[in-house]
Amino acid sequence: MPKQRARRYRRRIATALAAPRLQDALHRFGDAYLAARERAFAGLDFESLRREIVALKDEVGRDRPGYLAEFIRNAEAAGAQVFQAADARSANEYIRDLALRRGARLAVKSKSMASEEIRLNAALEGAGISVVETDLGEWIVQLAGQRPSHMVMPAIHMFRDEVAALFGQVTGRAEPPEIEHLVRVARRQLRQAFLEADLGISGANLAVAETGAVALVTNEGNARLVATLPPVHVILVGIDKLVPTLDDAARVLRVLPRSATAQALTSYVTWIRGPVPGGEGARELHIVLLDNGRSALADTPECRDALRCLKCGACANVCPVYQTIGGHVFGHNYIGAIGTVLTASFNGLEQAAEMVKACIGCRACVAVCPAGIDLEEIILHLRGRLGRAEGIGLAKSLVFRRVLRNRRLFHLLLRSAARLQKPVTRGGASIRHLPLYFSSLTEWRTLPAIAERPLRDLIPDQDEQLRAPRLRVALFGGCATDFVFPEIGLSLVKVLNHLGVAVSYPREQNCCGIPALYAGDPATATDLARQNVKALLADNPDAVITTCPTCTAALRKHFVDLLREDPDWAPAAERLAALTVDASVFIAGQINGEIDWPISPGDGVVTYHDSCHFKRSCGVWRQPRELLTAAGWRLAEMPRSDRCCGFGGSYSLTGHPEISREIAKDKINDIIRSGASTVATDCPGCLIMLRGALEKRGLKIRAAHTIELLAETLAGDAD
Amino acid sequence: MTSSEPVTQFQKMAAQAGSHLVRCLDAVALADYIARHAGGTILFPSFPSGRRINLVELLRGQGCEVVTDHFRSAAPLAAAGVTGANFALADTGTVVLDSTEEPLRLASTFPERHFVLLDPRKILPDGLAAVGLLRALHRRRSPDFIAFITGPSRTADIERVLTIGVHGPRELHILLLEGLSDDPLES
Repeated sequence: MPKQRARRYRRRIATALAAPRLQDALHRFGDAYLAARERAFAGLDFESLRREIVALKDEVGRDRPGYLAEFIRNAEAAGAQVFQAADARSANEYIRDLALRRGARLAVKSKSMASEEIRLNAALEGAGISVVETDLGEWIVQLAGQRPSHMVMPAIHMFRDEVAALFGQVTGRAEPPEIEHLVRVARRQLRQAFLEADLGISGANLAVAETGAVALVTNEGNARLVATLPPVHVILVGIDKLVPTLDDAARVLRVLPRSATAQALTSYVTWIRGPVPGGEGARELHIVLLDNGRSALADTPECRDALRCLKCGACANVCPVYQTIGGHVFGHNYIGAIGTVLTASFNGLEQAAEMVKACIGCRACVAVCPAGIDLEEIILHLRGRLGRAEGIGLAKSLVFRRVLRNRRLFHLLLRSAARLQKPVTRGGASIRHLPLYFSSLTEWRTLPAIAERPLRDLIPDQDEQLRAPRLRVALFGGCATDFVFPEIGLSLVKVLNHLGVAVSYPREQNCCGIPALYAGDPATATDLARQNVKALLADNPDAVITTCPTCTAALRKHFVDLLREDPDWAPAAERLAALTVDASVFIAGQINGEIDWPISPGDGVVTYHDSCHFKRSCGVWRQPRELLTAAGWRLAEMPRSDRCCGFGGSYSLTGHPEISREIAKDKINDIIRSGASTVATDCPGCLIMLRGALEKRGLKIRAAHTIELLAETLAGDAD
Repeated sequence: MTSSEPVTQFQKMAAQAGSHLVRCLDAVALADYIARHAGGTILFPSFPSGRRINLVELLRGQGCEVVTDHFRSAAPLAAAGVTGANFALADTGTVVLDSTEEPLRLASTFPERHFVLLDPRKILPDGLAAVGLLRALHRRRSPDFIAFITGPSRTADIERVLTIGVHGPRELHILLLEGLSDDPLES
């Protein structure tokens, strides 16, 4: 039942949030990773590197059966025994039966996420075979009876004193909580296992079709011992690890260690082809090629890019949600964004549902993925599937279908709310305290009041603005600029008028539909797309300006996607997309260094917050900074300026406000670190979050839209 | 042609990866270095560049205990292993060793110290340049166990604190000596 499942998940989130040591570990890890990753890729063209990965992985996708056959042929020619496991059960059976046939009592394992996926250890232990994890992090979580919380660093959530206690149980002595000492203990304890094991089990990072070899990319040296000492070596590898040639393998190696652990190369890359000689008796190599849903994933057009994944873990490392609740909660076998997609594909949508809903949609993962997977877009698609499968809830359904689609009703309700909110706004611009049931919503941030008069009522007619404008543009305000922050729209009119551009406000425009799309209701989003395409193109504007990057993404991308199959609307959607431009980008283009930005310089120091959709959907981050600097402001960058503010639309209100709270806290701290008295952003959504969190904490830092700040530096009347 | 650029870059990157790098004057100096740093029994598998400079005799002459057979039983008690290298990669400070033969594998994975003999003429610019050689090694005969080794073993699994020396060697010593070998298909 979705409701119970959601409640259980919230409890797990609450537990993670209430563990300060986990929070500490995750934050330090995330922050350190960003800096290390930048150093690892310094001087390299990341975009070009990842284009290569996309090309080689998609090439495999073009003819997976052919490359698989080539790999098997070459591997068998070298003496390996290859088994194609359709699913977890058959993989476990094969390995278990092999172990039993060889009379194996003890197996040593090096790291293999595929083995976690199929629960191999349990299958072997059920048959009386002891399994010892030899990767340090894996051994630690094995001793603790836990699952790994990260693909590359399984015990990232644990601390040295916990590890010392665990090791003490093994050695029977009190072990001091010193990391170097603990690593020595692991080396000593596991040495014997390597020598005594009957079976060695490892994963693989690459399977090279050209040669029939696999490559293991490791640091500790345990994989090499696992592959070298026991008489039987089993390599369990997902069929998505296939690459066509050695050149392709080299391309992956240029990227994988840098992305995973910020190393130029790991201590070891081991190429294994066929069973190695040595010991007494025949040595055996068994390669178990695991499907377990990967072919089915290849047949799913919207999700298949996930098969490009290199399993580097970068998407989790940069994810604000992962950093807040960790891999045990934001993960299943695999963690983070890719974990969400793979869980949905391999274990079913239901298993992944809560993870899908926990994603805040900030696209930090998309920015760093070395395999060029648009993870956020896939997760959005999964939201749609989830909405169809489970429904989106009665309240949301009503709001979207009955209210949002009906513009007049929607706006009437907003206007009524503006009047009825007086008891909680007390005439002010923000709501500091909501009563009773709603009180948790304002516990850690204020909420904005609905504007007394929306922008559509306030904006002057074009003829009142300019007599002979050079250009006539239409403004798509979006709900926030129209009904919450009309001053942004009026500021825009002031600035554009100054540049000789007149602004119209098509009254038939409605919500851009993103809230419905992200809630899993693409039907409402499509209806709204049609309404807006019609309204905005009606008067043939020279351009369509937006003041919210989420709306920009809607007009430039989502409308086009939603109306692609509708021949009556597709061309118009394309036209609108081509005409749409963000306010800051438009202004920067108009100025072009020619016009003298007039009068009073900006007051003091400003720091800039890159909204997720501005930087990672629209690709804009330079223009607002250039405009602010040109207007006389002193720009002081905050650390992690492009990290999500925690808004995420309804995420911060009804989705996961408890996670938003933590993300917002980190953002506010970073703003404080900048030393600026003002934080500028181009997104009204971010503005709601930043202002709300700053106000509640009683901080004097002002949050404003870039356009507002620009308008203030212009002499002349305000609105 | 001895190009000094790949060598210089190799030295820098190998050091960055935590390897000890020594340019040896001659075979005697090389043996002297190993003798001083081995710290115990040395596993010495048979490999061309080692044979070429009679290193086993030189080491025994320095008073070292050198094991040249029964490697499996000797490995747990050995302090050091000595191997050659097929070739090396300058951009990452990596040595490449075809360690298909078990003694080579044991010598390079089991003891705490690994000494690698490398002729600087065999240093290539990067991994992409090495693909051709990798292909040639793969095509000779199977099976293959080819190791790219970049520094000693390491982990950051506990609190992300880097610790050198886990299950593999704790120290990697790369000994540069010209004349060892000019054939990347041998070590």
